[in-house]
Amino acid sequence: MRPILLQGHERSLTQIKFNPEGDLLFSCSKDHVINVWFAHNGERLGTYDGHNGTVWSIDVDSQSRFMISGSADNTLRLWSIQDGKCLYKWEFPTAVKRVAFSEDDEQIVCVTEQRMGYQGAIRVFNINRDGDGTDQPKEPTSFFNPIGSKAVVCAFAQTPNLIITGHESGKIALFDAKTGDEVLNNERAHMDVVTDLQLSTDRSYFITSSKDKTARIHDTRTLMVIKTFTTETPLNSAALAPLKPYVLLGGGQDAMSVTTTSLRQGKFETRFWHKIFEEEVGRVKGHFGPVNTIAVSPRGDCYASGGEDGFVRVHHFDESYFRAKPYGDLEIED
Amino acid sequence: EDAAEESNVSAELVAQRKRLVDEWNAWRIRCRDEMPAALRKKSGEGKKKQEEEEKEEIE
Repeated sequence: MRPILLQGHERSLTQIKFNPEGDLLFSCSKDHVINVWFAHNGERLGTYDGHNGTVWSIDVDSQSRFMISGSADNTLRLWSIQDGKCLYKWEFPTAVKRVAFSEDDEQIVCVTEQRMGYQGAIRVFNINRDGDGTDQPKEPTSFFNPIGSKAVVCAFAQTPNLIITGHESGKIALFDAKTGDEVLNNERAHMDVVTDLQLSTDRSYFITSSKDKTARIHDTRTLMVIKTFTTETPLNSAALAPLKPYVLLGGGQDAMSVTTTSLRQGKFETRFWHKIFEEEVGRVKGHFGPVNTIAVSPRGDCYASGGEDGFVRVHHFDESYFRAKPYGDLEIED
Repeated sequence: EDAAEESNVSAELVAQRKRLVDEWNAWRIRCRDEMPAALRKKSGEGKKKQEEEEKEEIE
């Protein structure tokens, strides 16, 4: 499994995302830039310029037409994927920490930072898909401030008008997108800040990672914890591998607390765990600092990791990965 | 890959794993059955569309 190294960012990666077809990989970084790459050869297709601060989060719609991004420059932006143009810009009083499209591409949700007398907020915007995409509603269709621990990650749940949030305290919650009411929560889903949240293809379950060194699979409807993966390092990202019973976990001690030797040797690993048996099945080394973000292609044929070291590494699975049945012939539902 | 070599697992462990897989599969099927009708219809259509697209590619 020879990796392709994507060099183009000058600072740490914050999030990476494949489009639904799996041919394009989007990456955003503390260097203010969003890049798009061909997944198969790592060639850079283009750059989305405009943000004046760390780009914390990106998402791509199901048609690979629009991309959204949230940044420390206090803006949420809508981009045309094809020509790299910024189509619309929303401005807020604080940084945008997380963005996500709804399943039908009609709405977006974003989390803004709690700071300078402003509460953390969740906003939902309707996206006008008619015309060239530049005519967007300025005001959100809903806006609310979750009480208690601030939200750090968010996504649309399986059911329309429900938003899943992950919080600084380790809480996971479901909010009604229209009223802003907290419909359900699991206060003790994690013991420390939730760092990532990624949904299964049908959105009926999702995986979260946390600084508490665990990743967990939750039932989207009940928020019950289905599986727990306990590692020995704070986790920054967790991803589900389609078609195979694996989850991919990444993290690592902060660069400050790590010996310079391991920094130099590229020893930061992406860990593969068995989704059902909660056992580690393998590791892939490579990054020169903590792994900040992991994404698996929706096709299940490759995955990518983005590091604190500023590199994106794309790994195409070789044939042995697809043949391997490390725990026998049991048929596992995706 | 390394784990693929693992053949001398005890019968007990095999049974335990089978139980875990059965539990997981039962939960997944329950999730699908209990999915709101509107969503099920949509995801069914999505699947059909995807299959058609795949066929086109083969041609």
